[in-house]
Amino acid sequence: MAIKKNKECYFCANDIEVDYKDTRSLRKFVNFYVKILPGKRTGVCAWHQRKLAEAVKRSRIMALMSHTHR
Amino acid sequence: MFIVPNKYTEVEAKTIIGRVEKMIMDGNGQIVSGEYWGKKKMAYEIKHNAYGYYQLYQFDFPGESLIKLNNDLRLSTEILRHQILKIKVKSEEQLAKEQAARDRLIAKEEEAKEAATKFIKKATPHKKKAEDKTELKDLDKKLDGIIENTKDLV
Repeated sequence: MAIKKNKECYFCANDIEVDYKDTRSLRKFVNFYVKILPGKRTGVCAWHQRKLAEAVKRSRIMALMSHTHR
Repeated sequence: MFIVPNKYTEVEAKTIIGRVEKMIMDGNGQIVSGEYWGKKKMAYEIKHNAYGYYQLYQFDFPGESLIKLNNDLRLSTEILRHQILKIKVKSEEQLAKEQAARDRLIAKEEEAKEAATKFIKKATPHKKKAEDKTELKDLDKKLDGIIENTKDLV
């Protein structure tokens, strides 16, 4: 498994906000089984990691993202 | 954001969306912007519906009647799922800036992907030309460029 190489937070570095509709970028922060990865692995700062977890859950509710991989 | 199930046709879905719009208006709300995503495959089936019509609204709404709107949406059989969120008001400039940043990222990713496929293609003739030093240098230069590109991917 890849270990984070970027020390900089993805959202801080690119100056974008976490959006539950943007599944393309959210996919980067979940594993194959669509489980949310820990901040240690994602390299996202703590503030954004909290927003990220919320966003993934929201997008799961709206069926934009699955709860699990079949 | 809400989902209209696939059992309705597109025309029927539009009328349902209109009804929701009316619901918002009735509660003294004001629609700022709307986005119709059209028929979309959902990540998982909800009540045996694999597809749904997605509609996104951004609206101002008085807090007191929000509970009523939420209940109405929940009780309505025509809507599969909905979500009302509180969001920050952003200027158009900010929105455009963010969208541009997103687009740039997507372009970057695709570029990196292309470079990666090129890398694989080039890897095979590389062995044959190993004797030729001048060509090797050129290749190295190219490889460096490609590797730099792929670094962004990681």
